[in-house]
Amino acid sequence: MIQVNGLVKTYSGKTVVDIPSLQVGEGEIIGLVGNNGAGKTTFFRLLLDLIRADKGEILSKEKNVATSEDWKRYTAAYLDEGFLIDYLTPEEYFYFVGRLNNRSKADVDEFLKTFEGFFDGSILKSGKYIRDLSKGNQFKVGIAGCLLQDPEVLLLDEPFANLDPTTQLRLIKMIKELHARRRMTIFISSHDLNHVTDVSTRILLMEKGFIIKDLRSKEDTLQELEDYFRV
Amino acid sequence: MISLLLTHQWKAFWRSRNAGKSIALRIFMGFLILYLLLTAIGVGVFLKEALEKLYPGQDTIRVFCGFALYYFLIDMFTRFMLQDLPTLTIQPYLTQHIRRSQLIRFLNVRSLFTVINLIPLLLSLPFTFMVIGPAHGTGPLLGFVAALLGCTFFNHFFILYVKRKSLVNSWWYVIFLLALAALGALEYFHVFSFSKVSSALFYGIIEKPWLCLLPAGLAVAAFFNNDAFLLKNLYLEDIGARNKKKEGAEYTFLNRFGAEGELIGLDLKLILRNKRPRSVAMITVLFLFYGFIFYKPEYLRQGWWGFLQVGGIFLTGLFISNYGQFLFAWQSGHFDGMMASNLSVKTYIKSKFMLFTAVCTLVLLLTAFYGLLEWKLLLVQLSGYLYNVGIHAVIAVYFATRSYKAIDISKGTTFNYQGMGAEKWIYSLVILLVPMVIYWPFAYFFHTPWAGIAAIGILGLISFLLQDWWIDILTREFRARKHRILDGFREN
Repeated sequence: MIQVNGLVKTYSGKTVVDIPSLQVGEGEIIGLVGNNGAGKTTFFRLLLDLIRADKGEILSKEKNVATSEDWKRYTAAYLDEGFLIDYLTPEEYFYFVGRLNNRSKADVDEFLKTFEGFFDGSILKSGKYIRDLSKGNQFKVGIAGCLLQDPEVLLLDEPFANLDPTTQLRLIKMIKELHARRRMTIFISSHDLNHVTDVSTRILLMEKGFIIKDLRSKEDTLQELEDYFRV
Repeated sequence: MISLLLTHQWKAFWRSRNAGKSIALRIFMGFLILYLLLTAIGVGVFLKEALEKLYPGQDTIRVFCGFALYYFLIDMFTRFMLQDLPTLTIQPYLTQHIRRSQLIRFLNVRSLFTVINLIPLLLSLPFTFMVIGPAHGTGPLLGFVAALLGCTFFNHFFILYVKRKSLVNSWWYVIFLLALAALGALEYFHVFSFSKVSSALFYGIIEKPWLCLLPAGLAVAAFFNNDAFLLKNLYLEDIGARNKKKEGAEYTFLNRFGAEGELIGLDLKLILRNKRPRSVAMITVLFLFYGFIFYKPEYLRQGWWGFLQVGGIFLTGLFISNYGQFLFAWQSGHFDGMMASNLSVKTYIKSKFMLFTAVCTLVLLLTAFYGLLEWKLLLVQLSGYLYNVGIHAVIAVYFATRSYKAIDISKGTTFNYQGMGAEKWIYSLVILLVPMVIYWPFAYFFHTPWAGIAAIGILGLISFLLQDWWIDILTREFRARKHRILDGFREN
């Protein structure tokens, strides 16, 4: 699904991402862990062609993301508020995303019904613009907007950090279901080792731009990560 | 306490994120303000001579007194358009051990530090000291100073109050403007004379200096009125506008244009729901009346069509130059999302062209009433319109692919040079020069301005028909610099 070849990104002489080679197959759930500055978000941005790689390339379905726009059709991402259009109401935003993906209004409404629990009554018909929602609720809007696109590749940057405990668990359940049903390829970065090992099928541990560990999730993965992060 | 808070503001001003970024811009702004102030001082110092020239044989002091209130009325309107509300700066202090009334006093005092307050004083005080003082002595002099300060501060606080009120309820906005217009109409139809009132008040001060207590008292009242209002609404101050329930809107007529239509709808919402683009749009609407100044009867009589053509281009292209100068930057806050969503660059660029064409067409229809002045103006405007949708739009989008500065759309426009840069000046120069370059050879060769006007229109039309070709080129231009634009926008 995704192939990374000799990817390097430097900011003013400092290497922030350096991934010689990485292959991610269809249906994998990749958990990206690492301390601040490890290069997780930068890697996500490179995947979305939001920043230019200094060296190397990322292929999505064999096509370079920097030269082809095909990936946009089947890729959805939520990294931060910069992915939301903050002067729209949540509904307007969903309809907008729906239209870009050829989903009718009725279709979107139908889809949103399945999110009633996830939204917990504080998103739809709230009478607020997205900019007036709390950060956690903005995140919910972002995630729902992603899933509305019915993507094959999904990128979420630290989804657990801003959600309340109930929603965190809901999200994990949702991701697992989607994975079982749709064989979606998912990238999740997180500082929450429990959640990320629970949900992922494969963990990439990043440090200063490098992937220093590539682990298939097993019972002892959590232990191994905790050992790494122990101070 | 207030002085401590003021020093914080001073630091905030010099250390703001934009401060270090573009020294050149600050110097430019500095010069602009300096120029304004110097002009004001200049006019102030030579006011006596100027009045003598304009009203020979009349007592300059009487003329001055007759004008004073007019001036403050205009000042009130200018303030209404330009003056910013001092807000949000108090948030970090709300949890500190500072009395709330002190904070409010601070807000009010701090609001006084604006160039707008200096201008009326610079204009009027030199005259007061140089003419009125020597002629009538210290008592009237002090009375005058107090009255002028009073009027200035009254305007200042009164406008703050009106603006705060209209934040909560936008009817205040309308009512204020209507009231001002009504006053103007009363004067115009000689029902009521400001000149007389102004004379009575200011000339009265010379005879009875205690009359200055009237404007001074009004200023004090306006100050405390603001105080009281803020004390009651301190929380409302920053959330007032948010409390209203927001309704979604849907522009069904755009549906048939697919993804492009959806993007146009997005642009419209952006304009309507955010402060800076909204005021840009309002300026554009106001300037539609600019034709009354530009299309002068004598120009029409003398047939200065080449000159009038500039007005035609300006009127029909205002939206493109105003909105188009920050074309992508308006969306800098969510540009990451735009670029990662299921949306090709080409569609995005195309939607911008469609927006330009739609708005320019609307403007062309709206400004058709100038045809009542002279039907040939319709031809001038049509040529200008074709130029704008065909050529100007391309130039605007091209320059947009070369601007990397983000914009905070929630801030006001006045003296807001965020997002400005060298390329904006070049852009202004280009859109000024291109029509001239097309116009002159044709007008010169065929000995009639209409050849030039026709050339502008025809070339515009040809370029408009080639729009798909332009879109392909501009898409390539955009993609070549996409990452730079994204980096720039993210830096906000």
